[in-house]
Amino acid sequence: MSGPLTGYRGIVLTQAWAGSYATQLLGMLGAEIIQVEFHGRPDSWRGSYDRPIPDTVADAPGAAADQHPWNVNPLYNSVNLNKQCITLDLTDPEGVDIFKRLVPLADFVAENFAPRVLSNLGIEYEALRQIKSDIIVCSLSAFGNNGPWRDVPGIGGTIEPISGMSSLLGYEDGPPLNSGQMYPDAAAGLNGFAGIVTALMHREMTGEGQYVDLSMQESSLAFIGDALLEERMTGNVRGRRGNRHMTFAPHGIYATADDKWLALAAETESQWMTLCGVAGGNGWLEEIRFSNNAARKANEDALDAEINAWVGGHKRDDLAERLSNAGVIAAPVLDAHEVADDETLRERGFIVEIDHPEAGTHPHSGIPVQFSGTPVMVSRHAPLQGQHTQEVLERLLGLEEDEYADLVNRRITGAGPS
Amino acid sequence: MITNSALHGIRVIDLSTSVSAAWCVRMLADFGADVALFEDADGHPVRRLGPFDDTGNSVIAEYVLADRRSAILEFKSSDGISAVRAAVAGADVLVCSGTRAEMETFGLDFNSLLQLNPGIVICSITPHGSTGARSKHPGNDLTTAALSGWASINGLAGKPPLKPSGLQSSYCAGTIAYASIVSTLLARCNQNPFLGQLIDVSELEVMTSTFGPALLTSQYQREPQPRKTKVDMSTGPVPVKDGHFALTISRPHFWRDAMNVLGLDDLAKDPRWGTSWYRKEHADEYVDRAQEKLAQWNKMDLFDTLAALRVIAGPVLETDELSENVHLKERGFFRTPENSGPQHPGPAFQMSATPAHLNQGAPGPGDHTAEVLRDFAGLSQSVIDALLASGVAR
Repeated sequence: MSGPLTGYRGIVLTQAWAGSYATQLLGMLGAEIIQVEFHGRPDSWRGSYDRPIPDTVADAPGAAADQHPWNVNPLYNSVNLNKQCITLDLTDPEGVDIFKRLVPLADFVAENFAPRVLSNLGIEYEALRQIKSDIIVCSLSAFGNNGPWRDVPGIGGTIEPISGMSSLLGYEDGPPLNSGQMYPDAAAGLNGFAGIVTALMHREMTGEGQYVDLSMQESSLAFIGDALLEERMTGNVRGRRGNRHMTFAPHGIYATADDKWLALAAETESQWMTLCGVAGGNGWLEEIRFSNNAARKANEDALDAEINAWVGGHKRDDLAERLSNAGVIAAPVLDAHEVADDETLRERGFIVEIDHPEAGTHPHSGIPVQFSGTPVMVSRHAPLQGQHTQEVLERLLGLEEDEYADLVNRRITGAGPS
Repeated sequence: MITNSALHGIRVIDLSTSVSAAWCVRMLADFGADVALFEDADGHPVRRLGPFDDTGNSVIAEYVLADRRSAILEFKSSDGISAVRAAVAGADVLVCSGTRAEMETFGLDFNSLLQLNPGIVICSITPHGSTGARSKHPGNDLTTAALSGWASINGLAGKPPLKPSGLQSSYCAGTIAYASIVSTLLARCNQNPFLGQLIDVSELEVMTSTFGPALLTSQYQREPQPRKTKVDMSTGPVPVKDGHFALTISRPHFWRDAMNVLGLDDLAKDPRWGTSWYRKEHADEYVDRAQEKLAQWNKMDLFDTLAALRVIAGPVLETDELSENVHLKERGFFRTPENSGPQHPGPAFQMSATPAHLNQGAPGPGDHTAEVLRDFAGLSQSVIDALLASGVAR
């Protein structure tokens, strides 16, 4: 293992997207992440135990003949790289006891249950502090650990509207929309990662642990903070703008001749003039209504109509390359397969092929940051459910083989339905 | 001086020219770092981003440039660059918006900065990273949305793909850059001697990382996830009496209780509807009926009713409604800078021992030039006076 967080260990109860993504990022930077999953109640991103396995997964290259639905869910497998997974029945006092014996060996605990859950299990921050005084606990919940909505549950699909993000996403003449995936989870995961390393930094300086309280609503709000501040500074309630920019024009996504889409923008006069040069012969440079950014912004409908007509006569990739090479902000709109195949992302080592023992070999999004001195790498596929229980309990707690077998027999641990 | 800050004592040189890098620095400052922003005579580019208040101040600049001191220096002047290098020599962290090659054109090549200060952490945040075929291409939140895959799944089929709202690539990249810098400072705590390093953050790769679940799902399904053909209650907010409302059901008891609230007892009782895959397969049997019932509710009444039952649901709130939100007020989410100014939202997470501090709103360009040159670059008053007199500093 390498990376700047090498030597730190998290015993984490994260699940679904937000918490799992936060701890995946920590694992990608070198921290040892031991994911504790409820035995008999799978991570919701593994899906239900009786979930049908699609044919496309059963036939994937390198896929195992014996597949389990909970091990071949792409949602789970996309956000749990570089982790180990153990299972414990945390509704059983013995399962909780094992968890508590692991805590002294951890630098941090992370979880994204509703706030009452840890208290119900007797493993909330104050209880864990009694076990390890400098422990760091990060909770990612829908609305945070206090306030009138503390116990209201939420997921990305409901946090997006209640954080204001949906009110800003959509076409200018259309209703509010949610994103194509539950984006607030990703925003919360990034901020959970940030919160935990911030707490680790304080602990290094002072020896003091602390509690990090992340509300998914607030982490989303921070990412539209300029819209909130706009309301405070100007009284304006920002609406939906489609792809338009608050300041610049052109700034949009336009259909191409090959039934694809091209993103195109000009943020400077130089880029505008270059765009006009690439477009050639359209007379845009001579038009008073497009003579500067303010004029273009005031005449954006007419400008977009002109650009739509021009872009519509070209193929996406040809035009994107010509514009980008000339210095204009432009890019093809790539679908998920095109992203996975993208040569530049692969050359930079970001898209990586990962072998999974049940799901087969697939390209994944990798580590989104590069370090010159402490290089990072994807070293583990997403774990099978309970894959590391025996190894972790032996290594960290000195459990004997027969003791582990006894735990399995008594359904304190195990894989699959209990 | 605030001492209950995680990054107390960390000195940061801010050479950002983008929202992403400015946001990274904002987080460093919020958690206690001492930050010097060096701007050129035109001012930080985000100062020219709308919207603007009545006095012409950029809202975005107020948000992302808060909590630091500002100096104006002429970067094209050798004296100006010398002053920046002097400040770098005594700093822990340098954040910039240029690639390695772009910074070299300013006389700030990374290798020489590491020779000048072997322990410094240099973080470059750019649209496409410092290497690779796209590193010379310009980019922004729009093109990052396009290349990362997000635009391909946002919006409706038959209409243009949509970028995420606002400046999401910038905030995501800034946050990862912040966490990566702190991670590197942690490594410094554990290494002796610590060798500084370069952190290369690509906004595109950060957004593609957040696209990871859709990317892998599309691989497993062997077809790219498409944009929605329509919005219904299974995919997003739908109309209610006074706005829009999302009832995105996940667990079986959410379904049962929500259908009971809506008066759809037959749907509540049938256990087959408890699983998401069954609902997806049979959406046409419930969506219209449920939406008809939803349309009879006001959004907050329905939210309060469902919240009491702990059913996941979300009214679409707008920014003015959020400003008055009782829950956010009680959690102290909006903060007034200690030197006054408009209330800011945030932070994104609360810390029990080292809470984020908002010491000041965004400085005016050059508000602190002399003190920054003294405190960060270690220049004497006579040298500072000479720089000011020559116009290299303002």
